[in-house]
Amino acid sequence: MKLLTHNMLTSHVKGVTKGYPLIIKATEVKVNELEFNAQFVSRMIPKLEWNALIQAAEWLGRSQDLPSTLIPNYENDEEFLHKVHRILLEVEVIEGCLQCPESGREFPISKGVPNMLLIEDE
Amino acid sequence: MDSSMDGTRSLRRTKEEKKLLRRQIKASHTLLKHEGISTASHPTKHLVVSNGGLGNGVSRESLLEVLKEGGTVESLLTPPAKPYAFVTYSSTEAGQNAYTLLNGRALQCHDQSVTLYFSYVEKGVSLLEDFVSPEEELQLLQAVDWTPHTDDVTVQKALKHRRVKHYGYEFRYDNNNIDKDKLLPGGLPAECDALLQRCLADGHISVLPDQLTVNQYQSGQGIPPHVDTHSAFEDPILSLSLGAKTVMDFKHPDGRSVAVVLPERSLLVMKGESRYLWTHGITPRKFDVVPVSEVEGSGVMTSDLSNLTLSRRGTRTSLTFRKIRHIPCNCAYPSVCDSQLLSSPPTVPVAEGDACRLEEQYVHQVYEEISSHFSSTRHSPWPHVRDFLLSLPPGSILADIGCGNGKYLEINPEVISVGCDRSANLVQICVERGYEAFVSDALSVPLRSGSCDACISIAVIHHFSTQERRQAAVRELVRLLKVGGRALIYVWAMEQEYNNQKSKYLKEGTAGASVEMMSSDMKCTEEQNVTQPRIHIHTNRTAFLSQDLLVPWHLKCNADKNKGAGSGSTNGPLENMSQGPVFHRYYHVFQQGELEEMCCCGGVTGVKVLRSYHDQGNWCVELEKTHGNSS
Repeated sequence: MKLLTHNMLTSHVKGVTKGYPLIIKATEVKVNELEFNAQFVSRMIPKLEWNALIQAAEWLGRSQDLPSTLIPNYENDEEFLHKVHRILLEVEVIEGCLQCPESGREFPISKGVPNMLLIEDE
Repeated sequence: MDSSMDGTRSLRRTKEEKKLLRRQIKASHTLLKHEGISTASHPTKHLVVSNGGLGNGVSRESLLEVLKEGGTVESLLTPPAKPYAFVTYSSTEAGQNAYTLLNGRALQCHDQSVTLYFSYVEKGVSLLEDFVSPEEELQLLQAVDWTPHTDDVTVQKALKHRRVKHYGYEFRYDNNNIDKDKLLPGGLPAECDALLQRCLADGHISVLPDQLTVNQYQSGQGIPPHVDTHSAFEDPILSLSLGAKTVMDFKHPDGRSVAVVLPERSLLVMKGESRYLWTHGITPRKFDVVPVSEVEGSGVMTSDLSNLTLSRRGTRTSLTFRKIRHIPCNCAYPSVCDSQLLSSPPTVPVAEGDACRLEEQYVHQVYEEISSHFSSTRHSPWPHVRDFLLSLPPGSILADIGCGNGKYLEINPEVISVGCDRSANLVQICVERGYEAFVSDALSVPLRSGSCDACISIAVIHHFSTQERRQAAVRELVRLLKVGGRALIYVWAMEQEYNNQKSKYLKEGTAGASVEMMSSDMKCTEEQNVTQPRIHIHTNRTAFLSQDLLVPWHLKCNADKNKGAGSGSTNGPLENMSQGPVFHRYYHVFQQGELEEMCCCGGVTGVKVLRSYHDQGNWCVELEKTHGNSS
């Protein structure tokens, strides 16, 4: 699971209103190399919940001096775009779980796949 | 806060400590329930240790050290990344002793201290090592006569991989069941008597098995994940591994999977859930990744990478002993039980619970079993879907709800694509291909409302068995869209011929419908629930005779490339059945206008229909979200 996906995922446990972002508890993380596309990355940024990304990076211990708020004119800051590319697309959680911040319910991540299925009465 | 450190003091807890312990145990039960683990109220020799898992940072060694204080440990299962472990003691007394002594025990692991909570559980899988001696192993291997008989030759051909031999009763691969009238002469080889008597004496079984299947796996061979047919065999099932070790994968319907190393001369006992609910299989591989430590022996694969090594597969012969079942199965897992489901052929469900159960058996489980074959037949994107995807502005967020093998996730690289599917196996294929995907149900997608610029649902909604559920699926798609966002939905059409054009699905088959399939639509039974129509089994590549059907899928183990757009591997109704098992998938095929009506009148609000068309045997609708979400 990449952090791009994590940024979109939310808890859908019944009755939960504050289920975003899901807390990441990773036991195995991998870093892959992916071709950098500045345009793609800068188009992605406005679609993200920036705070959730910062938190996610912290949970993985990879804050890497990402700014806590978006800097203006980030589209032209190559170094910044590279950092975003890395944290969003190259870091992958292979094993671990995602925890709903409100209910505590844990969704397992196994072999890179988050399993978000709820059981019948949830 | 923590309770005592040694045994004697634990019996003299204060009232507050006892109260706290009770509450904490209750909390751990809730967590376990979320994991699908139900605790037993009576003492057993099997316990689950909460907080004693690899997911808590507790190592196998340190846990084992503590557990041994309770009694002789027969086996320890430490599932990767889980906050618990399973321990089996040599006797119920030992289990009870461990419970009394160790419950609430604090464990120091590296820099942290965790509190271990113990609960009794019913048994699942037991692995008994060194169950036979090397001499016995040799005797047993020599006892199997591999000289092929004429019947065997067709079976061999069908299986294409491992060698198989049956004793006692013949196992049929076309329906995955036993021919209970076909008693094979000779019974089980005499060489097996000693070990079976031992099983009886040790209490692993209460009756002697009367069926034996011997499988011989060369390196690179395996067996697809499956549950042994409920109606054919009792519980438990014993499997003896000879000649070489291997790794067996167990998978729970909810997606959890556990890999277990089966050493040479070990006996695997599958009981209860592990026999009736979890699938087991062996991936066809030449190497396995196994724990290094011989002391640990077998046990569950850990994610501790420093402790793993590659093990080359040798030729493994397994002896699977089973007791033939003569009365229908009445297990606690009806959704996966052929006795309980097929004794009354399925009818179109009304109640939500029935709908879920039907879909579990005739959609979810089927896709899990056929996933790799299915994926190999799903390689060409539908052109109109492709056009839709390419029309999305760069930087759009696209969700593919029911993404299957992910083939639409890479069509438009300018778009941010994420997929989800109900089948964990199919999602695994997506991730292996580098796509972003997660396991989820289409009725409850864990993405925020209004977060997507576009959604697609291609060949998904026709798997829901009630109108309410189909509508709910569309509403969920709409919820995900931002205002102005678009969705594209494709479902199988009842009218395969449209504008005098036969769909590809029909063209590739023999002409005309099979009249024999026409048993009366309304089957009256003695029961109350009389007027629900029966769900017929459809004949592939013919016209659909009703809207609710079971469509066969003939599984090919050697995943040949198939062109079929609809049902995949069907080469005509006369194709011989000995290819492999047949699976039935439930479909509700849509009539002209049905999908469109569902999307605009009543059931779904806040959207307008942009386009509505027929494409290669599918009814298709493109929607645009006009109003925001209410919640």
